[in-house]
Amino acid sequence: MAVENKEAEKIATLLEDLDSLENYIRDLFNFLPLPVFLLSPAKIILEVNPAFEKITGYGIEESIGKSVEDIFNAEEIESLIKETLDKEFIKAKAISLTTKSGIKIPVSASTILRKGEEGDVVGYFFSLFNLTDIKKKENELINTQKSLLNILEDTETARKEVEMERNKTLSIVNNFTDGLLVFDGKGKLSLINPQAEKFFNVKKNDVIGCSVAELSSFPEFPPLVEILGKEIKEVFREELIIKEHLNLEVSSVLMMSEKKRIETLVILHNITREKTIERMKTEFVSLAAHQLRTPLSAIKWTLRMLLDGDLGQITKEQREFIEKSYISNERMINLINDLLDVTRIEEGRYVYKPVLADIREMVQFVVKSYKEEIAKKKIKFSFKKPAGKMPKVLVDEEKIGVAIENLLNNSIRYTPSGGEVSITLKSDKKEVQLSVKDSGVGVPKDQTERIFTKFFRAPNVIRLDTEGSGLGLFITKNIIEAHGGKIWFESEPNKGSIFHFTLPIKEN
Amino acid sequence: MAQKIAIMEDEELILNLLEKKLTKEGYELLIARNGEEGLKLIKEKTPDLILLDIIMPIKGGFEVLEEMQKDENLKNVPVIIISNSGQPVEIDRAQKLGAKDWLIKTDFDPQEVVDKIKKQIG
Repeated sequence: MAVENKEAEKIATLLEDLDSLENYIRDLFNFLPLPVFLLSPAKIILEVNPAFEKITGYGIEESIGKSVEDIFNAEEIESLIKETLDKEFIKAKAISLTTKSGIKIPVSASTILRKGEEGDVVGYFFSLFNLTDIKKKENELINTQKSLLNILEDTETARKEVEMERNKTLSIVNNFTDGLLVFDGKGKLSLINPQAEKFFNVKKNDVIGCSVAELSSFPEFPPLVEILGKEIKEVFREELIIKEHLNLEVSSVLMMSEKKRIETLVILHNITREKTIERMKTEFVSLAAHQLRTPLSAIKWTLRMLLDGDLGQITKEQREFIEKSYISNERMINLINDLLDVTRIEEGRYVYKPVLADIREMVQFVVKSYKEEIAKKKIKFSFKKPAGKMPKVLVDEEKIGVAIENLLNNSIRYTPSGGEVSITLKSDKKEVQLSVKDSGVGVPKDQTERIFTKFFRAPNVIRLDTEGSGLGLFITKNIIEAHGGKIWFESEPNKGSIFHFTLPIKEN
Repeated sequence: MAQKIAIMEDEELILNLLEKKLTKEGYELLIARNGEEGLKLIKEKTPDLILLDIIMPIKGGFEVLEEMQKDENLKNVPVIIISNSGQPVEIDRAQKLGAKDWLIKTDFDPQEVVDKIKKQIG
């Protein structure tokens, strides 16, 4: 009896242990966060854990007895089973499962073969690892890669565009018909284009990096160095003669480079042709003057000498006619003088040699030459000027003299004997103003527009004095305007006129 | 002794008038119708004053002035230019070559020319 009890006890203990073990295994199985299931050789799901439930959506009761092909891809399972049979253990094969609600989930499956006591296959253990997150991260990585590649491509495109622009600019610089030089922030030559190389007869490599002082040692550079100075200042259209038959016009402009240092761009424009044409025009005008004046001077002198008695006695009647011829000839001479002045004005560069001059002195000079005539006509003349110093003006003295003379001449000529003529000078910060007032015949209201035009003479003065050419005011206007000044007048017929002009004061 | 004036002028009428006027004033005249003739004349006999035209055949007034500057005897002889052109560029150039005055023929009467001569040499 005791032996049977002992046997029964042993069995009970074993059963307890078995039970315990079963519970242990079950707990472990349930605890596993990784989905695990057991598959029969006939591909039927025998066991699943809660994690499996979670991932597939099929409940435990539902899953058990289900064909694995309901949840997984048949081909993938088939191939995985074959491999497992072959290798007994497969790690991390990517397959996909479809949940109860139809969502496809990528998983990584690992399998292990279950063999029975006789070595026969009794099933396969599957564990799954949800690859969704990983796949997501993989996709993000791929997208980032793509973006980076795009950025790289864009950068490359931008770089190519910049290079094209640079090449375009270089091409322009190299083919520019003007010479170009650039001095960098430290005053050293950083660029010289082929045209400038030609002008100065140097090769780029010999002069790049040179300072202005160092450039002076090259034979053709000193005139340019003189104009720019050591500090490489800004100049505007200064003329430069490099050698015979090469006249250049230099302009330089300061540029702010990216690094905020001042670079200087020097532009050299070839004006040899312009200068040649100017010279030719001057020669032509000179020749024209000569050709027109030659016969007239011969006539003038002959008539004069006849009148002076140098060629014998003449009768009173002869004197009368010769005098008239002389006056007529004088008119012709004056007309030609005016025409020649006009030609020169219309060339544009009429202002010959501007210098700083005192306008008072210029007026005095003109007035002096009219002293006789003023006295002869018994005109009351006055010259009003400010007490203190007057600012100097930058003018072509000869031309301004002509302008002043024209106005004074008109006033005197068109003012009857005993009348009044006055010249007034005044100035402010910006300009100097000269006014010539007379008590003469004035300008008719309907002629005010035309008074400054070529060859115009108002009818009232033609009656008075037939001599004028009608060019005086035209020339005067051109002279004043070429100096940057303004000219205008006020007038009342038979009362008188005041003609004003201004000249700008150049600030230094 | 009469003062010598050299006249270089290619315009016949002007030349004749000057001859008449200046002879009357008592000057001795050396006459040339172009610059080359003129230079030869003044190199043989140094004049007291020269009336010089600018535009002349063979050698013109500027060339004469330049040659005179190179000659010790001639470079200080007063020269009055009598011309019918008168652009500032030219007047400037003549002045730099030693000319004392520039008269535009159409702007002066023969008597005025004589007055200018008298001013230079009396």
